[in-house]
Amino acid sequence: MSDGDYDYLIKFLALGDSGVGKTSVLCQYTDGKFNSKFITTVGIDFREKRVVYRATGPDGAVGRGQRIHLQLWDTAGQERFRSLTTAFFRDAMGFLLLFDLTNEQSFLNVRNWISQLQTHAYCDNPDIVLCGNKSDLEDQRAVEEEEARALAEKYGIPYFETSAADGTNISPAIEALLDLIMRRMERSVDKSWIPEGVVRANGHSSADQLSEDRKAGCSC
Amino acid sequence: MGDKPLWEQIGSSFIQHYYQLFDNDRTQLGAIYIDASCLTWEGQQFQGKAAIVEKLSSLPFQKIQHSITAQDHQPTPDSCIISMVVGQLKADEDPIMGFHQMFLLKNINDAWVCTNDMFRLALHNFG
Repeated sequence: MSDGDYDYLIKFLALGDSGVGKTSVLCQYTDGKFNSKFITTVGIDFREKRVVYRATGPDGAVGRGQRIHLQLWDTAGQERFRSLTTAFFRDAMGFLLLFDLTNEQSFLNVRNWISQLQTHAYCDNPDIVLCGNKSDLEDQRAVEEEEARALAEKYGIPYFETSAADGTNISPAIEALLDLIMRRMERSVDKSWIPEGVVRANGHSSADQLSEDRKAGCSC
Repeated sequence: MGDKPLWEQIGSSFIQHYYQLFDNDRTQLGAIYIDASCLTWEGQQFQGKAAIVEKLSSLPFQKIQHSITAQDHQPTPDSCIISMVVGQLKADEDPIMGFHQMFLLKNINDAWVCTNDMFRLALHNFG
């Protein structure tokens, strides 16, 4: 599965409180196959999936398909013992942030997870998709859809109500994240054509410059 | 067992007792700490029986199992016992992870208490 026969290798990290269903969501997305590779020494569990990404141009035309090798990273549950190491965040390109629709505290903690991401991810506005999981347990719902949507809008990130139990919205959520990443990569590739001086002349601060450099570094 | 040094016997009985309490009802762990005890849990510091028990009780898992791979004990010049444990643990349905833990035991009024406790998961940075 890890042969070099793809155009991009993209790493996503699933985050959120213990018990929100991170592992179940990733498992559902990778067709329930138990193909996870657990790296004991670093506490990372990952699953892989190949997808084809077709960018839709501004004119609605669908471009050539790009072969994506998706690596979906999961924690080994070390967040139960302490906060995750910063190295854990740094290596991922996109984040699937989950909470449990039947557990209000897991929703309240979404803000903390986002601020941790802003601090430790490869840049301060990484691509995130918010998922309210366990939508199948409607009778136990503790978080209203409007509340969750309002929070996602505040951060400018997409929101999906998912169910790892029946598969609802799992693929759309992950595809939305992939779409954000691919668009970001296109943007950063475009920007790499702009000579450094031109960007500075446009009034970018040195911090902006630095974050652009880091983005470009991530896309290879 | 009889020909083992005393500190080995005390150290290993403590270890057995500690993890038995931890795995069955960790709210009972207060019995082994005193108000001067220090816990460093994954780099976070806690001092005093109450703060330590509060931390250990509030860890977010329902069940946990420890399995001890190895333990070492030494007497210290001031008649304490220092113990190091290497083991594996499993919290709820998560994958098994390695851990290290170290204890300093002191005899106060004929009872052994833990004055220092340091815990780390055996996970390593990468990337």
